[in-house]
Amino acid sequence: MSTILDPTGGQRNGTAEAPLAPRPPDLRARTVGLLDNGKQNAGLFVEELGAVLVEQHGAGQLVLRHKPVATVDAPPELLAELAAASDLVVIGVGDCGSCSAAAVADAIALEQLGTPAAVVCTESFRATAEAMAAVRGAAGYRYATVEHPMAGLAPGQVRARAEGVAGEVVALLTVAAPHRGAA
Amino acid sequence: MAAGAVPTEELDPEAAQAAIEHCYGQGWSDGLPLVPATRQLVDRFLACTARAPEEEIGRMAHLGRACTVELAAVNAAMAGCKPEYFPVVLAAWEALHRDRAAKGGGWQSTSGPAPMIVVNGPVRDELGFNSSGGAFGPGFRANATVARAIGLIVRNAFGIRPHEFDQATQGLPGRFSICFGENEEESPWEPLSVETGIPAGQSAVSATLLRTCEFVDNRHTQDPEQVLFDFADTIVRTGSLIFRDQSCFVVFSPEHAQLLANSGFSKADVKAWFVEHCLRSEADLRRAGKDAVGDGPMGGRSAGPAERAPQDTLSQVIPTPQHIPIAVTGARNAAMSLVCRVFGMWSNTSCALEPPPGRQRSPGERAAARESSPAGRASSPERSAPNEWASSPEAIAR
Repeated sequence: MSTILDPTGGQRNGTAEAPLAPRPPDLRARTVGLLDNGKQNAGLFVEELGAVLVEQHGAGQLVLRHKPVATVDAPPELLAELAAASDLVVIGVGDCGSCSAAAVADAIALEQLGTPAAVVCTESFRATAEAMAAVRGAAGYRYATVEHPMAGLAPGQVRARAEGVAGEVVALLTVAAPHRGAA
Repeated sequence: MAAGAVPTEELDPEAAQAAIEHCYGQGWSDGLPLVPATRQLVDRFLACTARAPEEEIGRMAHLGRACTVELAAVNAAMAGCKPEYFPVVLAAWEALHRDRAAKGGGWQSTSGPAPMIVVNGPVRDELGFNSSGGAFGPGFRANATVARAIGLIVRNAFGIRPHEFDQATQGLPGRFSICFGENEEESPWEPLSVETGIPAGQSAVSATLLRTCEFVDNRHTQDPEQVLFDFADTIVRTGSLIFRDQSCFVVFSPEHAQLLANSGFSKADVKAWFVEHCLRSEADLRRAGKDAVGDGPMGGRSAGPAERAPQDTLSQVIPTPQHIPIAVTGARNAAMSLVCRVFGMWSNTSCALEPPPGRQRSPGERAAARESSPAGRASSPERSAPNEWASSPEAIAR
């Protein structure tokens, strides 16, 4: 009697608990890092979102950085620099199969550097965002969603998406809400 | 015991059915039945390569996944490959990963791209790869199972599965089933592998990722430029234009290839003709909302400002001959061919097939190699070596 071999080689999605960063009580005077993943309208979206966080939630400085390749993890040195320059980071926009997963991966990497992060994905990519969170040891990691799509929107529509999701992003970045949900 | 050595009356179909159901239950299947892989079967695959079972042949660092030669063998066995196909699977895997898109998130893409694998040289006859009628399938074990093996490696070794990390919007008919031999015997031109620098007579594999295959049926004229125009019209269709540049793999039937060659066109001439004549007007691009081109390395297209009238200009769609590779396959029975839409850009290289191992490793030696290797059966998910792929600035954003 012989055994059937496992074609995964026993590899499974990670389950270890990745530490998440402690949250401040609010955004007042905090420097917010904006990570534009380079997808169409992503840069405009994170800038609009940053502006709303300043105007309506008392955030201080904004620091904008651009990811060289949306579909894979950001270079570690870029994340380290952004974490050093910011109190909190917003990442957008996960609106494709690999870039939504990569955005969550970047967020968890920032959390491990001690910087709270909030990812904004379009609602179509929940499954891949959640699968990546599990792979990175943060099953149930929470993120914000906006209506799909983001590409192809006019600037006014991008601003509206940013205004609509700002409250959720503030909740993710502060103690106002648990940032890890049920796995 | 070698396959086929068991007398028919001693086969146990019910045990086979139970084993197949077990594989389904584990989530390993692409939807079709798998061959349950045993140690003995996989060892026969490993005996067909000189490469060490523990050698890592692919890594998705961002997913914490890796693939070794041994894990590829397990998946190839489950796909229904014969052991002797295994060097072709390894060469196809390597060829595919010379394509930057396969390393830059292609497997997870909403585009759901399909590998296209082209086999050249004597291995086609030795292993039974179809390179004539119906070369795109189905009906031939070598063609079908080598392509399927690639899909199972992606699914099981990399853990990229539909509705999870595979985010294909609609996918592609025949994804993980496109593998054909080039019809070198009826092609008027040098084989694809020879064009990339592999010596004639050496078996080799080339591969890239596709968005789709579209037919061009032109049995209507013997004028080579009329025929080429018919291809160009398909190549420049706006629906496929998402970046400034476009790449197509034109897979000619022997009849189209011979018509062109008999009119004096070399392969290089055909490519040059396409570069010159695959043009799309800005007015058409405007009508499709794709007249503006971004200034990133890829030049993503978008709708230009409404107030600017489209210029009376033509945009080049195929920028260089490297963007329009050519192969020949199929039967010489009708003048119809395929324009295969490349997802990123083919590496313009082929992988030579390794010669049969001079000496097969004994099962004992293979077991020793497995035990001594920490990477042995496909590395643990915790391993986090730097990922030279993921950090590549050349990775294609999509």
